[in-house]
Amino acid sequence: MTSTSTFAPSGGSRLLRSGFIMPAILVAIVAVLVVAPLVRILLSTLTPSGVEAWQAVLVSPLSFNLWWRPLFNTMVLGFGVASGCLILGGFLAWLVVLTDVPGRRLLGLMATLPYMIPSFAAALAWGTLFRNSRLGGSAGFFETNGLIIPDWLAWGLAPTAVVLIAHYYSLAYTIIAAALSSVGADLVEAGQMAGARRPRIFFGIILPVVTPALIAAASLTFAGAVANFAAPALLGLPVRMQTLSTRLFGMIETGQNERGFVLALLLIAVSALFLWMSDRIVSGRKAFITVTGKGGRTKRFPLGVWRWPLFAIAVAIGLLTTVTPVLVLAASSLAPQSGALFSNWTLHFWIGEGGGEIAQGQAGIFRNPVLLDAIWNTIRLGLVVALTTMLLGLALAYTIVQRRGSLVATILSQLAFIPLLVPSIAFAAAYIALFGAPIGPLPSLYGTFALLVIAASAHNLPFAVQSGRSVLGQISADIEESARLTGAGLLRRLFAIIFPLAIRGLFAGAILVFVKMVRDLSLIVLLFTATSPVLSMVAYRYAAEGFMQFANAITLVILTVCLAASFLAHGLQNRVQKWKES
Amino acid sequence: MLKRLMKSALAACVVLPTAAIAADLDSMTPEQLLPLAQKEGSVTVFSLSSRIAKIEKAFEEAYPGVDLIGLDMSSTKQIARLEAEQQAGVHAVDVLYIADTPVVFSKLLEAKRIVNYVPPRVATQIEDRYKGPLLTQRLSTKVLMYNEKVFPGGSPVTNLWQLTQPEWQGKVLMVDPSQRGELLDLLTEIALHPDEMAAAYKTQFGKDITIDADLQGAGEQFIKDLFANDLILVPNSDVLNKSVGDANAKNPPVGFGTYSDRRDNEKEGWALQVANNVEPANGILFPAVLTIADKAPHPAAARLLIDFMFGDDTPTGGAGFEPFNVPGDYATRTTIAHHPDSVRLDELKAWTIDPAKTAAARGRISDLIITLQ
Repeated sequence: MTSTSTFAPSGGSRLLRSGFIMPAILVAIVAVLVVAPLVRILLSTLTPSGVEAWQAVLVSPLSFNLWWRPLFNTMVLGFGVASGCLILGGFLAWLVVLTDVPGRRLLGLMATLPYMIPSFAAALAWGTLFRNSRLGGSAGFFETNGLIIPDWLAWGLAPTAVVLIAHYYSLAYTIIAAALSSVGADLVEAGQMAGARRPRIFFGIILPVVTPALIAAASLTFAGAVANFAAPALLGLPVRMQTLSTRLFGMIETGQNERGFVLALLLIAVSALFLWMSDRIVSGRKAFITVTGKGGRTKRFPLGVWRWPLFAIAVAIGLLTTVTPVLVLAASSLAPQSGALFSNWTLHFWIGEGGGEIAQGQAGIFRNPVLLDAIWNTIRLGLVVALTTMLLGLALAYTIVQRRGSLVATILSQLAFIPLLVPSIAFAAAYIALFGAPIGPLPSLYGTFALLVIAASAHNLPFAVQSGRSVLGQISADIEESARLTGAGLLRRLFAIIFPLAIRGLFAGAILVFVKMVRDLSLIVLLFTATSPVLSMVAYRYAAEGFMQFANAITLVILTVCLAASFLAHGLQNRVQKWKES
Repeated sequence: MLKRLMKSALAACVVLPTAAIAADLDSMTPEQLLPLAQKEGSVTVFSLSSRIAKIEKAFEEAYPGVDLIGLDMSSTKQIARLEAEQQAGVHAVDVLYIADTPVVFSKLLEAKRIVNYVPPRVATQIEDRYKGPLLTQRLSTKVLMYNEKVFPGGSPVTNLWQLTQPEWQGKVLMVDPSQRGELLDLLTEIALHPDEMAAAYKTQFGKDITIDADLQGAGEQFIKDLFANDLILVPNSDVLNKSVGDANAKNPPVGFGTYSDRRDNEKEGWALQVANNVEPANGILFPAVLTIADKAPHPAAARLLIDFMFGDDTPTGGAGFEPFNVPGDYATRTTIAHHPDSVRLDELKAWTIDPAKTAAARGRISDLIITLQ
């Protein structure tokens, strides 16, 4: 990091050092990026038809089925999924980061994969195994082999929760692993020397230290679960289970936008309440500072006889949640009939020449001239958005952590969380309406790459802020203070101290943003104006024509891109944190 | 003669640059539109179908110098995007190729965000009801489908009311009408035909129907009875087709699906067939429309494209229509022949929706469905 000295212009840093400018700027940025679209959505529900929508949702014969029952289902899902993810993701993170379990790299890799696989793949995989006769058609694996699968196991809340845990636990893993890796060996060794037993060390030292990460992971998985559409739709609708997200989607899809927005606002309010409570828990207790600039090594616990059994459990989790969905995806990109996944495999959908009988003469995806273009566009967009989001997220997380407990910090952390819960169609529409027209001397941003990046950065902000917070919270103020005493400005401190120390958490956030950006369609499709598409749009195109094989092949390409990005990030962070390697 | 030419040329010089252009454009032939379109250089279209890529190729070959920019997105997204853009004063899109006409009607047409245009070249070859308030290019379906391998003798259902009987309990599938506009339109259309539904009830059960106090008409009673008979809701048509159509199924359900999905029978191992002989109707025909955005930046090219997408004079419609010419969908242009393998349009027992009427009635049906879940 020799180049960092260039980041410390002395004049600017004096301004920044005053301590008020930075939060003020951030509040302004967040106000524009998050509050403005939100206010616009709120205003659209205050028109006469909007007021009718509030009434219909809250006080009408409809409200039981439109709001209360979906709310109940959503909350059960949210809490169930968040706790499941913490247990599963936390267990794997502990195993990979803090123990001498064999094959740690492989386990770590497997644990990051599920989030890169779209959640519908896991839902499809569940169907392949557990589908029962309720829908007719061919039954799943278990029923074909004579086991009767009851409706509650095939459809509804239970399978939806399992599928969502299988999808989102890797998000929890990523964040918790980043935090665990900064639990220094000195802390643990101190405990050991004082004669503390292993459970005592775990509950007395490690758990308290990573509590911010646990809260961050819980909030993100909670939000992910309540906003997810694919899994509850695929597994819930056949037994008429509606969640707020399926209701919301349905309302917007059938042209009843106001009702959809009302549901979204209520969902945001309920989630914000829970987030506020979890925030109170974190800020109500003492902060544990573990990154002190010395003894940054990680201490690994010997597992003894448990090494292999625990390894087996971790591999089983990985196989069920990673390999099964990937296999289903891969098989469906090879099978000509979507109903018979494992017969008549052909590579046609990947490399086949067009003009034949298969797929109405369409050529394989690698013969599609727009594919390379799309891959490049996708990577460019993902990288730029990950970078801008990470920078903004770092600044926000820094301010929130520095001013823990203050009003500014509370407001910022609440606001930075909201975008996850705003339906992207409303979010994108608000952005077009806000930035489409020229504002004062600023030109219209309509149709520019910049608008796409701004909207996407705002939309993905929660990932960067939450993962940044959980790591920054552990960094000792001593190091920063010594730097400040020697005259280093804020930017210099950020880039020379905070950034290298927090890089794991920041990269964890950046990867999550990158993955979400690369997979997500709904935000992009509303803001994109160029004809050269991104990968998710190519996949949508194929799927819209009923060619799921091509679409699934593209999904696997997306998965590969995401994997490559996460390897790259892993390599980079190891280069920066060289002291960890010993 | 020469004098008259001079006169009209002079008149053109005066008239062309003024506001009269838009009105004039509506009456121009493709040949007259072409030079203007070439001057505009490009045309942007939002399309519900990704087959717009094929149109792009054909269009640019037919009219060099006019670049077609096609963005495929669902009808809902088109509406959201057009509304947001116009609110910001951005006029970037020219043509919308869109379904979900009841919403288009109430959110776009009534708000004057789009204008209707009928190409003069094909105007006489399209029935009046397809020319306004929005120009329909083709009709698609949501109709009752069954498994022809399991029921080789024809549809097991001959009257919609049979679906409310124990025999079909838990064996009727439908994409959730609170999730998808077309299915909501289907139920709305049933509610809009109370007399026919009442007559069909009498045919089936031999007695007059009694209607619950809180419902209006036999159509709404049917919807309630259908939900009470464990109507199974599914998230998308893919799931529905697999369940209804599976060629190896023993006791398959029936479902309200898309007739044209039958074309995938061989590829997917399905045995989907339309149940046409159903009282009083087997479902709906709904339009896909072509319309021009208000203050479209390329008005001539937009009209040229819409004209092009009605095809040439051959029975297949040529390069401009062929991508959309699939069995089970129906061109509104009468010169385009219907696919020999599918039921003729005039023999299909489906109601054709009227966007304006559906738009007015659909809120009530949507509320009804929510209470029934």
